[in-house]
Amino acid sequence: MGKKVMKRTIAAALVMMLAVTSLTGCRFGFASDPDDPNEVEVKAPIDTSTDTFQYDSELKGTSITLMNSKAEIQIALEEMAVAFEEKSGVHVEVMPVTDGDSPYTKVVSLYNSGNPPTLSILDTTDVIALAEEKAEDLSSEEWIKEAEGYLTEVNGKVYGFPLCIEGRGLIYNKAVIEEALGETFDPAAVKTQNDLVALLDRLVAAGIEKPVSMAKEDWSLGAHQLQYIYETYDGTSAGAQEIIEQIKSGELKVKDHKRMSEFLSTFDILKKYNVAKGDPLGADYDEMAIDLADGKTAFWFNGNWAWPNLKEAGAKNEDAYGFLPYFMNNDENDFANQMIQGSPSKQVMLDGQFADDKQKAAAKEFLNWIVYSEIGQQMLVKTCNVIPPFKNNPYEPEDPLSKDIYEHVQNGTAFNASAIVPNDHWAVLGAAMQKYLADRSDKEELMQSIEGYWAQQE
Amino acid sequence: MESKNKGKDFCIFALPGMFCFFAVVIVPFLYGVYLTFTDWNGVAQAKNFIGFKNFASVIQDGQFWSSLLLTFKYVIVVVILVNVLAFAIAYLLTRGIKGQNFFRAGFFTPNLIGGIVLGYIWQFVFSRVFVNIGESTGWSLFEISWLSEPNKAFAALVLVSVWQLSGYMILIYVAGFMGLSEDVMEAASIDGAAGWAKLKNIIMPLMMSSITICLFLTLSRAFMVYDVNLSLTSGGPYGTTEMAAMHVYEKAFTSRQFGVGQAEALILFIVVACISGLQVYLTKKQEVEA
Repeated sequence: MGKKVMKRTIAAALVMMLAVTSLTGCRFGFASDPDDPNEVEVKAPIDTSTDTFQYDSELKGTSITLMNSKAEIQIALEEMAVAFEEKSGVHVEVMPVTDGDSPYTKVVSLYNSGNPPTLSILDTTDVIALAEEKAEDLSSEEWIKEAEGYLTEVNGKVYGFPLCIEGRGLIYNKAVIEEALGETFDPAAVKTQNDLVALLDRLVAAGIEKPVSMAKEDWSLGAHQLQYIYETYDGTSAGAQEIIEQIKSGELKVKDHKRMSEFLSTFDILKKYNVAKGDPLGADYDEMAIDLADGKTAFWFNGNWAWPNLKEAGAKNEDAYGFLPYFMNNDENDFANQMIQGSPSKQVMLDGQFADDKQKAAAKEFLNWIVYSEIGQQMLVKTCNVIPPFKNNPYEPEDPLSKDIYEHVQNGTAFNASAIVPNDHWAVLGAAMQKYLADRSDKEELMQSIEGYWAQQE
Repeated sequence: MESKNKGKDFCIFALPGMFCFFAVVIVPFLYGVYLTFTDWNGVAQAKNFIGFKNFASVIQDGQFWSSLLLTFKYVIVVVILVNVLAFAIAYLLTRGIKGQNFFRAGFFTPNLIGGIVLGYIWQFVFSRVFVNIGESTGWSLFEISWLSEPNKAFAALVLVSVWQLSGYMILIYVAGFMGLSEDVMEAASIDGAAGWAKLKNIIMPLMMSSITICLFLTLSRAFMVYDVNLSLTSGGPYGTTEMAAMHVYEKAFTSRQFGVGQAEALILFIVVACISGLQVYLTKKQEVEA
């Protein structure tokens, strides 16, 4: 009898454990519910009254596909496709890349099954990898002249349509800083690394114990932070390429690279004031957005793509957020201390292998429509909420982060450099950066990993 | 006459199945083997024959071997824990305790949740719930997220896999226990066998067929673990929990070295096939008729 009770208790306890773990999962799981029924989504109105774009009536009835790897604009792209079909009669099927699938893998498998999308939105490195083998040459398109400076060339030819500009840096929450310090905050007054440290110290003294959030994700550490060592060489993509070649060939030792030690000194500052200092690799991405919006922190190293997360965490379009540069040293005249990095991040590639002439023409019309039609221009900025790389687009993005990048681009205080690195750079060196962030390796080891990584590349 | 019928039977019953099997298993497999000898990058039109170069790269890929070693460690721990736990719980749940059907269903539930979802749920438990418990109680075990320390992240991976796999194995063991003949049990009791002696000498040999199946299933599933690995730790912290299957995927798709990735996959396949085959052969020999 006693035995039986014992057994029952054990079994019951085990089942309870199961039940409790699954329950806790539900109860705390959705702190920031994106589907709040009380929230009314305000859509930016699109003025469709004027449209001077010339549609080719012969393309009516053509059907093309667009593979989208930018999940946050999926619905917006679908709306664009509908608007375009109404006017032109060309049907654009927008197919998303599901979470967990890499866009490159997806497009390659579609190519191998003989059914690739007519247009695909890809990262710049992916376009370069596919360009000469699969893509249509877009060098003679009209929009080329509007996107000057934002085009990527492969052997002198353009294969990608730059969809948007994205920028990154230290995001600040102005209201939080002003409230803590009791004075107005002028981001332009922070000019050097020392200024930043002084500001952080004052925030600490004012009660914000750890004012910085730092993502532990390998793409953030390995791509967005570490790539500053290439991109701040002279602030151009060509310069970044040059420095990469030098490191690759062993001509320049990583430890002798001036930007490397400067980068690490800034990284160490952020590390010191990191809100998750006790467990930097346990930091949660969603929580960082909430912390910044709630004022637990004042800074977050990230890019303007973080806006949907901030918005979900309660930030409003009219709130004041902006970017500080990733300060490299104490030289006020160093461009890296004055400018924000902002460069084209997503490119649209046109299939040159399977699409027929009519589909190609329809796809080119769609791209031109985005650049030149009044409706396309509006929808790119207002519906997709991206920063347009096209000079002729008169619209301004509405959220504070994109707006700030946009203004930096307009005022010439943004540098357009994107390092073209091998595809596993972010994953391999992201891991090395994580190790350094968690204090489980030192600068020496980190620099050796970087050097070792480049030595392996052909 | 007879041979003609046989041919017809073959066409009706075996051919469709054979065709599917060839189309989705054998042909891709052979094609994969062929790819290991080429420099194909997944995109190019041309596939150049490069001999054993890919295998040479595999030998130089230290990460692959350390991930394989880690996988062995993981497999050993998971296989033992899952089977001991499942066997014990199945034993308890066939002794006629009240509500045993409810418990059986309860233990099986984790198996119904897909690996990806399961990983995300547990990620939340490890990095938030545990940390909160740690904060409010001061227990140093839960002070930092389990997923940010290599050894604990490995333990977390094992824990979740055991939690998920046990339910299925319990089901098989329960079926095995139910199939035990009452007569034999009674005879054993009359002969004075009880407790440990009965378990070791009567029940275990009769349960050998269930053990064969369960060992095979846990072995192959543990070796090929990917989904939980991806969603729970995604190889982190800093690549210390990257299992072999995940490394193969990363090599082929993130580093874009298809040939090398494919060669590593082939090596992984051979290892798993040999070990599972050996295990089935050895445990089969232990099986007895009641």
